[in-house]
Amino acid sequence: MPREILIDFARCTGCLSCRLACAVAHTQAKSLFDAVLAGEKPRARIFVHQLGQQKAPINCRHCTDAPCLDACMAGAMYRKEDGTVTNEGGEQRCVGCWMCVMVCPYGAITSDAAGTVALKCDRNCRDESGTPACVRACPTGALVYTEVEDYSAHRRHGALGKILAGGAGAP
Amino acid sequence: MHFVVIGTSAAGIAALETLRRLGGTRARLTAVTDEPSEPYSRCLLPDLLAGKKSEYSIRLRPAGFFPKLGVEFLAGFKVVALHPEEKKVFLEDGRQLSFDRLLVATGASPVMPEVPGVDTRGVFALRTLQDAREMASLFPRVSRAMILGGGLVGLKAALALKVAGVPHVTVAVASPRLLTRQLDEEAAAMVERELTAAGLEFIYNAQPRAFVPGPHGTLAGVELADGRELPADLAVVAKGVRPNVQLVREAGGLVGAGIEVDRYLRTSLPDVFAAGDCVQVTDRLTGRKTNSALWTLAAEQGRYAAANMLGLARSYPPPLTRLNSARFGNLDVVAVGKMEGEEVLRAFEGTTGTYRRLVFEGDRLVGFILAGKVKGAGVYTALVKTGRPAWKWRHLLLEGRAGRVVLGCLPPQRRVESKIS
Repeated sequence: MPREILIDFARCTGCLSCRLACAVAHTQAKSLFDAVLAGEKPRARIFVHQLGQQKAPINCRHCTDAPCLDACMAGAMYRKEDGTVTNEGGEQRCVGCWMCVMVCPYGAITSDAAGTVALKCDRNCRDESGTPACVRACPTGALVYTEVEDYSAHRRHGALGKILAGGAGAP
Repeated sequence: MHFVVIGTSAAGIAALETLRRLGGTRARLTAVTDEPSEPYSRCLLPDLLAGKKSEYSIRLRPAGFFPKLGVEFLAGFKVVALHPEEKKVFLEDGRQLSFDRLLVATGASPVMPEVPGVDTRGVFALRTLQDAREMASLFPRVSRAMILGGGLVGLKAALALKVAGVPHVTVAVASPRLLTRQLDEEAAAMVERELTAAGLEFIYNAQPRAFVPGPHGTLAGVELADGRELPADLAVVAKGVRPNVQLVREAGGLVGAGIEVDRYLRTSLPDVFAAGDCVQVTDRLTGRKTNSALWTLAAEQGRYAAANMLGLARSYPPPLTRLNSARFGNLDVVAVGKMEGEEVLRAFEGTTGTYRRLVFEGDRLVGFILAGKVKGAGVYTALVKTGRPAWKWRHLLLEGRAGRVVLGCLPPQRRVESKIS
């Protein structure tokens, strides 16, 4: 059963711990101090937004019919066997055309510090237990990494899935 | 069940992958293409010209893709005839292929101007790997290149030639400015500044009247409609594409602005489907029928067509037919939907050098342009696509705070509901 990062919107306090953990986990050095000393520019792939009193982390949902997969004209965006959608680690390289950025309804794809390749959640930050860095870092339980059946499927989709995605999706 | 797919670019590949994913291992898949080898990304041909990419690195899929997917791959064969009543296609070498369901994903071909000398050696389009190879073989002897067309392909080709070391690159544009179909004046001017800084030259209101060969039969210059003759030893024609409809038309299928398909991407011929640049689509916003010609749409249609070929009856929603993202030098540009409408809001953000244009009709965002910083562009696209009320978000959108809009679009109960158990 694949696990997904789910968001409990009511619990987010906007502390940005997830962003820091994500950015650091994706550095070579794996620690903020060492990464900065080594001249790396840590970039987070999860975003925390605030609207009024509402705060929430938003990251890639690894959509079933991911629009970014359709849009990638370099063939770099692909789905791994565990369901992760990523533009890293495959044979084809991202060229930074931002087609994926143009079609992601969550605004969950960003660029690297140099602005040359697209960066997104690749779940390449999981520890021995398989838990992603953002989830480990979340002090309030706003981010949960769990088997999808643990959550009511319609609620999960109700939360984000159908609302913004719109349009082409089905097959 | 034998599925035959003609064409192995965006639509063809998406279809083959979907046919296998949803159709299981028993479906027999055959792919035919007139391209001589493995699928490659046409959009990356300028990068190949510029020397930034190799032929190997512009391939669309990893080595061994077709065998792994269980697809019989026939490369280098043009399909010359389709007999729908016999359910057969004929290849140029005389071979016949019987199919149960056929997907026509034959793409589009460049429109060449009907002027004297268009066949002169040194006059190119940039559509195929072969075009790029031939063009690159001339590079050492090229000192002046002329690009005809100020659209996305023309500008990318022009920049690529400059990066490849061609000393003088001139873009001749029929309109008074660049990218008339994609951008407004402000954004186009930003692109022009960026490209001028990269060393490109522009001539506006310029149409070719003739390609002039030199004493050795190779291109010597381009004569413009206003009588000027400009020296050039390489010319690239980038004046749009025309859908490849011949196969279906000759078989008796209906053709409009492209091959006519219904919402299940069926052509008027039995068991013949079509997807990608060769089809006609209905624009989601204007309702106008137009040719498809966008990468994203081709991939989407390939998926939908495949599902329908398997009998799953998935209706393809009318797409947005203006959906462009490009990078020119250090300037990123995204343009989606309508350029004009009831209410147009524009803002320039000095700190990031970003220009934003929003087009509203009533409550609805129907189009936008982002030039500079394009972060969160997909949120704007989603609003255009879904037609959700967006007027109340106009300030956030104009400031580029798309993330907040994502939160705002969540249903209220979701925003306050606590732990989903």
